[in-house]
Formats: sequence, C-alpha cells, structure tokens
Amino acid sequence: MSHTTRREFIVQTAGALGAVAFMPSLIAKGAQIDGRLDVAVIGAGRQGRSILGELQKFAGVRVVGICDNNPGRLNSGLRRVQGAEGFADHRAMLDKLSGCKAIVIATPTHLHREIAIDCLGAGRHVYCEAPLAHTVEDCRAIVIAARRASGLVFQSGLEGRSNPIYQLARTFFRSDAVREPVSLEAQDYRKTSWRFPSPDPRFDREINWRLDPEVSLGLAGEMGVHQFDVMMWYLDAIPESVIGAGSIRVYDDGRAVADTIDCALRFPRGLGMRYGASLGNSHGGRYELLRGTNAAIKLAWTAGWMFKEADAPTQGWEVYANRQQFHNEEGITLIADATQLASQGKLQEGVGLPNPPLYYALGDFIASVAEGKPAICDAEAGARATIVAIHAAKSVTGEDIVRIDPSLFQF
Amino acid sequence: MILPLSIHAMGTRFEFVLSGATEPSLRAVGEAALEEVQRLHAALSVFQPESMLSFINRTACDRAVRLDEDMWNLMNLCDRVHRDSEGAFDPTVGVVMRRLGLHPGDGEDGPIGWADLVELDERERTIRLTHRGVRIDLGAIAKGFALDCSAGVLREHGVEAALLHGGTSSVIAIGAPPDREGWTVSIHSAGEAIEVDLADRALGVSAPRGRIVACEGGSVSHVIDPRSEHSAEQVDTAAVVGSSAGVADAWATALVVLGGRPASMCDELESMIHGQDGWVCSQRTCPQEVS
Repeated sequence: MSHTTRREFIVQTAGALGAVAFMPSLIAKGAQIDGRLDVAVIGAGRQGRSILGELQKFAGVRVVGICDNNPGRLNSGLRRVQGAEGFADHRAMLDKLSGCKAIVIATPTHLHREIAIDCLGAGRHVYCEAPLAHTVEDCRAIVIAARRASGLVFQSGLEGRSNPIYQLARTFFRSDAVREPVSLEAQDYRKTSWRFPSPDPRFDREINWRLDPEVSLGLAGEMGVHQFDVMMWYLDAIPESVIGAGSIRVYDDGRAVADTIDCALRFPRGLGMRYGASLGNSHGGRYELLRGTNAAIKLAWTAGWMFKEADAPTQGWEVYANRQQFHNEEGITLIADATQLASQGKLQEGVGLPNPPLYYALGDFIASVAEGKPAICDAEAGARATIVAIHAAKSVTGEDIVRIDPSLFQF
Repeated sequence: MILPLSIHAMGTRFEFVLSGATEPSLRAVGEAALEEVQRLHAALSVFQPESMLSFINRTACDRAVRLDEDMWNLMNLCDRVHRDSEGAFDPTVGVVMRRLGLHPGDGEDGPIGWADLVELDERERTIRLTHRGVRIDLGAIAKGFALDCSAGVLREHGVEAALLHGGTSSVIAIGAPPDREGWTVSIHSAGEAIEVDLADRALGVSAPRGRIVACEGGSVSHVIDPRSEHSAEQVDTAAVVGSSAGVADAWATALVVLGGRPASMCDELESMIHGQDGWVCSQRTCPQEVS
C-alpha cells in the first residue's frame, strides 16, 4: 500500500472518480466483561452455529445452554461448545439455567414471537435474529413485550447497525461528503437451492421452512430485511410503498417460494431503491449502493468504498487517506487512526473487518447486558425493518404495488 | 443419477460428484457438504482478517482462545503430524512464506516452530501462542480437512458413492461408482503417471514445483522446509493415501520436506514418492504406471 501526499490526492481526485475504502480501526472492538456472563442459544441451525462460534471469542462469555427440538441440529451445536447443556424445549432450559442472563434466538422466523416473549417473561435479556417475525401482528407483540420488560435488553439482530464500517460510512453519508441522495440499490445474489437435507422426513417441512409459503417471507424477508434496514437507518426514513415480482428461475422442484426476485421501494420525496435477490447466480454477491450528488457509497458487509464525483469538494479527512487499487481504478483508502496504525506496521493487513459482522452485533448485545446500556438496535427498529420486509414479500407474491401504512409503525 | 456440484474456496475449485436417487434431496445434501467447505474457508483462511484463524493469530498470544470441536480436532491433528514427522510438517511456517513472498504481506517476521510456540489445553479446549508474531498457516492441511468434514455430512445423510476433490490435490472417495472397485485417480509427475483406485479412502498430493515464485536470487517453491526455512525440492511429487484427507494432505507436504518416507509414519498410510528414481511406493506392489 503506497502513501499519498495531500497534493497527489487532490490531483488524482480532481480528474477522475476516486474510490475510498472505509476501514475502521483494525483493533477489533470487543465487549469487556467483568466476571462471567452466561449465555444460551435457542436454535442450532446454520445461523445458530455461527453464533456459537462467535460467542466463544468473547473472554468472560460462557455458552451454558443450547436448545433445539431437532436432535441432529442440537448435537451439532453441542459439538461446537464445550460444557454446554442441551435442551429440546426452551421453557425447560429457562427453568433449569436460572443463572443464565442472556438468550440468543436463532430459530425459524415464525417461532420468534413465542420464544422471545417467554424469554423476556422469564427475566432474560434477548438477542433475536432478524427478521423479527413473519407477521405484523407478531412484530407488534414482540415490541410490546420488550417495552414491558423494563431493565432487560432486547436487541434485534440487524447486523449493519453494529458493523464498524457501516457506522463509519453512515457518518459520511449523512454529511456533505455524499450530499443529496439520488438513488439506492441493494442485492443479494448467491448460488444455492435454499433446500436443506433432512435425514428424517418428519423434520423436512420444519427444516425447509424457508420454502414454506405459509411461514416464509422468502428472499425479500429473510435476506432483504438487513439491507432494507441499512437504507432506513442511513436515511432515517421508512419506505412508503413497494412493488415486486418473483419467479422460480432455477429450482423447479415443487417449491412455491420464488428463487429470484426484484423489488422497487419508494422512500419519501420520491427516492427509489431497487432490490434484487436470487439463488441462481452469485455474481456481485451482497452489497448496498447509495448514490448521492457528491459521491456514491458501496457497502459489502466486510468492506466499504466511496466513489467521489469529480466536482465533489475535497474533505479534510481525505488528507489521511491512502491509495488503494479498486478494480481498474486507483482510489484512496480511508483508515481510522491511520498514522498510529502505520507506525505499528498494520496498514498492510488488508481492508476487511477483523471479525465477521455477526461478531460486532453480538459484542454490542453483550456490552449492553454487561453495562446496562440500551440496545444498539432495539425491538422497535427491528420491527420497522421487518414490517417493510413483510410488505416487500407481499409485493413479490402478489406482483403488485403495496402501500406501507405509516400507522403500522406507531407501536 | 450423478450430480456434479462445484464451488470456489481456499483459492481453488472444489468439485463434488455425487451418486444418488433423486435430485432435490441429493442436491440439498451436496450443498450442505459444500457449505462445510465455505464454513471452513471462512474459519481457516490466513488471508482473511475476519477468519477464526486470523483471530487466533492476533489474540492467542495475549490470552487462551477457546476452540470449537472442529478447530480443536484440526489443531490436534496438526500437533500429531508435526510430532510424527519430526517437524517436517509445521503450520507456523507462515512467517517464512510471507518473508519469501509466497504469501502477501509486508514481510513482517516472527518465530517458527510449532512444538515450542503452540500450547493446546485439552481440559479447557483452548489454544495459546507463546510468542507474539506467530502466524499459523493451515494451507497444507485445510483443503483435506474440509473434505473430511464434507464427506462426514454426505455419509451422515446416507450418500453411499461420491468423489470429492479440492484443487485436484486433495481427494476423498465415498464408496465406489456402480460396478467398480473404486474411483480411479491419476497422479502425474514429470511425465510419469500412476493410477490409484480409491474406495472410502483419501488422497493428498504435494508437488513442490507446482507453484514457483520468483524472489531475490532465484526462485522458491511453495513447499518450505520449516527446519532450514528453504525450499523443499528433493522430490518431484509426494502422494499419500489414507482414511483422512487432512492427514493425507499434511503427510504429503511432510514427505516432500523429508524427501522420503520416515519410519515414524503410520502403517495405515500408503506413500508414493516420485523423484530421480521414478515412483517409490510404500506398499508391496506399486500402483500401475500409465502412459
């Protein structure tokens, strides 16, 4: 990575579009726990197992319980954590593990409501994966339960809110660096059938709940909710309507849930957001792109960049930026604490996050529980994004414009 | 039916060929097996700062890091092969790889020597690094280990015949194709090829001249002798057949470093080494050479 003087930087960005890579401090922020915090995880599917892996990184955090009604998944979860006790029923776990203060819920979406309310009712702090629920009614029930549970933390698992890159980029988005938003775009493309194997046919419908139109929000809900939330959080606004379409392009295996979708969401003052997702092609992967009159920001969960317009004014912080090759263009890398990191020889370690985004979301939850601080993304924020995702899913299945009633967000 | 599935991970292409009854269920099982590769790529990559391995390299010198069962088993496997190979297989060789320009980085130096630098606590299931700057690099074992985990998923879901490979140098076979005794795999080295039939067996191949990097004063191969910190180039190719692809991978690298089969190598493992004298095989009858 080469260094760039202020003069060189100005020369480069005056004539061409520059790419700025957002990079927070390479030193990972992590929750500091005085003593020990016992945590249990409900749901040991793929996401639940990722959560178990990340929780083990936190000194002082002990996973004492894992709950899943599927014996195969439960055993798979228990293999990952030493000393945790397994349960098939979450109520039995709450009763037995009386010293366990915090619960992470990673079950299928339509089961969140009952479990979250039971956990809060049992006096436990809750981290609940997003989307929060599959119906507006369930979202509202969770918000009310979280509000009544005074003194308890309820964090919605919208990972963008905790992501240091997204937090840093948001400060630029809301400043003169990007200026007036012009258009928004997001996508999540991957190559997988979304069907999971089930050794026992009795569990097939339960395991493949994402393909069950009665309970699944499809791609718009399960994948889109995180990306809708990023836009809503950055803009501090809620879409007014959404129109969508979906089809089965690849996996014509009897499923009724679309494997490819396109949506157009309309934010206040006519600002549009395009959203595409597919299980049939992985090109481009998962990212959000926010275009403004001065610059565009592209966020890809473990990295982020800003592309400046040629007529955008030079910002003071750019002086500290280093150059970086981005595709065929040479841009500049933005690194917090760049001078300090350079002196430590750490600038060369790459521009990605030092931990997966999930780590930061769980770290914020642990810090909130340990320090008694409000959740970084509370139940209401989670419900807002989920309600938008529910409407997007409805527009995909109905292939029509769906208006989003603002009164739904009055909890 | 035969179902091929592929994925790019660990800097190469993994390809699985599955034999089974119906597509939706076979594809679902195959994708679950591919997901194991993706999961382990995300956990074991030394190039991605967010991987668990990078977390260990950054953190385990300050405090013991808890490991999940997979990572614990992998670290123990590394420990065992390191000891049995008398240090010829050593995952702490990463600092030398970086110093020689085989891996990206600024050439930041650090100590080398698994036995003295890595502490595994079985009771707590933790790892601790005794010195700062240790860089564990699992490149010589990760592909095989990922294939072992993937094969475990396939077997768990009743797949009885499949061939899995990562970059063609790590292979594992489940059962055999219909009407065959095994999956036939050719190993080519300096114009001389042999064929092995694999049925519920794994193969690891290491060829030091497979990747050459120019450096000051000449070129180096991608296999480094951790004891001398120089390129290991005594043999053209080493191949190992055993029940575990991870073990076969690690031993294939160790044999390239050692230049021959040591007495300490477990009898269960078959070795085939190609050098100046052609193929030298551990079993009584060498696999048939093919043109």
